[in-house]
Amino acid sequence: MSETSSPLPGVEISVRSGRGFLNLRLNPRRGQALEAAERILGQPVPPAANTFTAGEHEIYWLGPDEWLIATAAERVLSLGSELAEGLAGFHSAVNDVSGGHVELLVSGVDARTVLTKGCTLDLHPREFAPGQCAQTGLGRAAVLLAAGDPSIYTIVVRRSVSDYLCSWLANAARPHGARFPAR
Amino acid sequence: MLLIECPWCGPRAETEFSYGGEAGIERPADPYALSDAEWADYLFFRSNPRGAHRELWNHAQGCRRWFGVERDTVSYRIEKSYRLGSAGSGRPAAAQIEASEEKRR
Repeated sequence: MSETSSPLPGVEISVRSGRGFLNLRLNPRRGQALEAAERILGQPVPPAANTFTAGEHEIYWLGPDEWLIATAAERVLSLGSELAEGLAGFHSAVNDVSGGHVELLVSGVDARTVLTKGCTLDLHPREFAPGQCAQTGLGRAAVLLAAGDPSIYTIVVRRSVSDYLCSWLANAARPHGARFPAR
Repeated sequence: MLLIECPWCGPRAETEFSYGGEAGIERPADPYALSDAEWADYLFFRSNPRGAHRELWNHAQGCRRWFGVERDTVSYRIEKSYRLGSAGSGRPAAAQIEASEEKRR
């Protein structure tokens, strides 16, 4: 996830294109269902609230029986059917929600300062360490916020409010010399 | 602003939640056996106590789960929050869900 060792100065905001999303629901107390899902995904499904695992995909905890799988857009269809097949015998659900979500990346030394302007959570790495995520409010939007690294944050937001959120971020980041690289 | 402890996500700002009214109101097992007054009491009347109040909250901007909160209506102090169906809620909901899921399998 982190491509640089020393964080960029200021703040960079970009839309991560070519991403796909699956919503996974199953009862984690059903060991076999969880094992089947993890075998297909090739990485652990985070059991702890408000954490995520990163591997081929990012798997975010959304609720005690719900996760969001973020992966490459071209992988979504095959992964979705593999999961649906593998979990067929269990009380579970796999849904492609790619069309409804946008992934944003906010990075740089001032990233945390910018996000703090519109978020009620304590984003200090002491409280919101790499590997943690949270569904919370940013500006007036409901977002999924994840800390990849103390200076890199991933935001997954509903497509319908992504325009608003980008404008909000651009405005909040203006005093910090915001840059908007294409990705 | 209230700081409400979500049983899954921990303490979060009140703006992330939506209120669901008084907790522990059970739908009558046989509505047809009730008089209009009893039915109206079930539908519309709430205890509105001064002091400890059990209520439902939904973590709308977070994990979107319903849970129970015990709040003092005078001081607004939140005494505790609990998962529905857990020991503190006085209902065996989780066990029932588990059992019904067992039947599905």
